Formats: sequence, C-alpha cells, structure tokens
Amino acid sequence: MTTNKDEWSLDMSGGPIFEQIAKNVHQMLARGALSPGDKLPSARDLAATLNVNPNTIVHAYAELESHGVIEKRRGLGTFVRMDAPIDGLRHDMLHQAATAYADEGRQLDATIQEAITALKEVWDAG
Amino acid sequence: MLASLEHVTKRYVKNEGLRDLTLGFPAGEVVGVLGLNGSGKSTLLKLLAGLLFPTSGRVSAFGGLPRRNRAKIVFLGENDALWPWMTPADAGYFMRTLYADFDSVRFHELLRGLEVPLRKTKTMSKGERGRLRLAMALARDAKLYLLDEPLAGIDLISREKILSSIVREWHTDETILLSTHEVAEAEGLFERVLYLRDGRLALDVSAESLREQGKSVVDAFREVLT
Repeated sequence: MTTNKDEWSLDMSGGPIFEQIAKNVHQMLARGALSPGDKLPSARDLAATLNVNPNTIVHAYAELESHGVIEKRRGLGTFVRMDAPIDGLRHDMLHQAATAYADEGRQLDATIQEAITALKEVWDAG
Repeated sequence: MLASLEHVTKRYVKNEGLRDLTLGFPAGEVVGVLGLNGSGKSTLLKLLAGLLFPTSGRVSAFGGLPRRNRAKIVFLGENDALWPWMTPADAGYFMRTLYADFDSVRFHELLRGLEVPLRKTKTMSKGERGRLRLAMALARDAKLYLLDEPLAGIDLISREKILSSIVREWHTDETILLSTHEVAEAEGLFERVLYLRDGRLALDVSAESLREQGKSVVDAFREVLT
C-alpha cells in the first residue's frame, strides 16, 4: 500500500525530505490510510519507490520513532505503534488547516461570522 | 577519505578542464556532480577513475593512485562501447573475464529489475542499452562508483528504472558520484551536491541543508550557475 508512489507527495523545494516523509506518514495516519499495527515499507524499498537516498528514509523513521509514532520490531520491520497519537495528529492537522483559513479570512477583512457562514456553505455543498 | 583531490588542475591542449580543485569524498556518500556542459564534470570523474592524469596537484583513491586501485573503482562513461552483436549474456561473460569482482547472479537480477531485453544490442533502443550498461557497472562489487551521465539521452521510464536500481544496489559503505543534467529527477538521491562552473568548484553543499533553506537542488543550480 505505502509503496505506491502516488500515495506520497514530495516537493523538492518544500524543506528537508526527511521532514516531508514524516509529515506524509502523519497525514496517512490522520486520514486513516495507515492504521496502528500496520507495517511500513523497509527504508530501502521506500527509497527506491520515491527515488530518494535510503539514509533520508532512515532519518525520517528515526524522527517518527522518537515521537512515538512507529517502532522497530527486531527482525520483523517497522510498524505503526498501537498507541500512536492519532487523535493528536488529527487535531494538529485540522488546526493547521484552520489557521491557514483564518489567515486568509483576516486578509479579506472578514468577520468570524462571515468565515463560519462561508465554511458551512462550502461544507454542506461538498 | 575514500578519495580526494588536492589542488588539482587539468589542462587540455586548448582549454582548462579543472582549475585548482580540492575535494574529499568519505565512504558512503551519494554525491551529485552538477554543472553546465564543459564545466569539468567528466574531467573530475575521469581523474578519480585514473583514466586521466592531473596537470598539477594530486588525485588519490584508497590511499594511492586511482589507476593502481581500478579493482575498487567502477567508471561508467558516456561512450556506448557495446559491440552490436553482443547480447546481455555476452556482456556478462565479457565483464566476468575483465573484473574479478563481477557478480553474475547480481548481474542477472539487475537485468530483470531493469527489464533489459535479452537480445543483441544492435536491436536495442538507447534506453535499453543505457540500462544494460548500468547493470554491467552495478554488478561489480566496488567501493567507488563514478557514473558519468547515466541518464543522458534516455527515455523517462528508463531513467526512473536506472535511479531505482542505483538506490537498491547502493550499500552504505559505497561512495557514488553521479553527474547528470536531469537534476530534478535525481536530486532526491544526493546527500551532497557539487556545482562546477568553468572548471572551478562553485558550491559544495549538503542537499538537505539546501532544502532547509527552502531551496531545491535545482533552485540552487540556477542561483549558482546563471
């Protein structure tokens, strides 16, 4: 599943690749594309899929491991932890999106009521 | 250091290839060698391969002259020297007689992975020949891989296959120097990038540190070389 190139999005001008890989995993978890207990591809397989340096993937996995999102199981591979902070990740991502929307609203001199109304209209239409 | 250059200048009859270049390459680094045509990329790789000799300065690999350590060095040049009657099996036989470190099993795995057709090279496309040449190069068990424009003039699908094979075959103690014009496609592979301009080193930087500044390797290429 996660060795499908289309599931990952990398932007070479969008900051360090290891951070983007970690962020991709966060998003997959928050959106339910990846669940606790799921196995992640090996660093080499994912590196070959995305054509990035295997060390970069190792770096990203170390970052995710230090944040309690994934764990290595000896001889078995890398897995999403059963207690991965999915609610927290979901909350953070929703707030990030809300921050971007709020910034745009303020630039347009919208009131919070206008912003909420617009959001509701779009939400119901979607 | 696995290989290094100290104040290396290479002068050709008509022009200068490299001017006063000092560089070191530790074990286990994937380095992008970037620059416009004539900037000295091939000269740098050929010096490290022991195929050229510096006009002044010192080039060393594995603690000695590169040409004395050819067994540990793979050089994949731009010239396609495959005989037209050769099949991939013939090419494997040829490599095995030339290089003690050539691994036939690995060669056949690479041929499969790179989807090289098992027919004579004269009936292959440029991309297929490029993939065959890469399989020949990567099936050796060396420590320093010098890949000069392995993606040049090759179709997109072949380029992707070549890049994935390089990622798969790279061992963390091996050093790869890869020169290319296809910077955007290859840049994810590089830990370090060297930008050459008119035979001089314009920039030597870690790729992730460039990205830390919000720049891609391509963005930096534009800044440095134009």
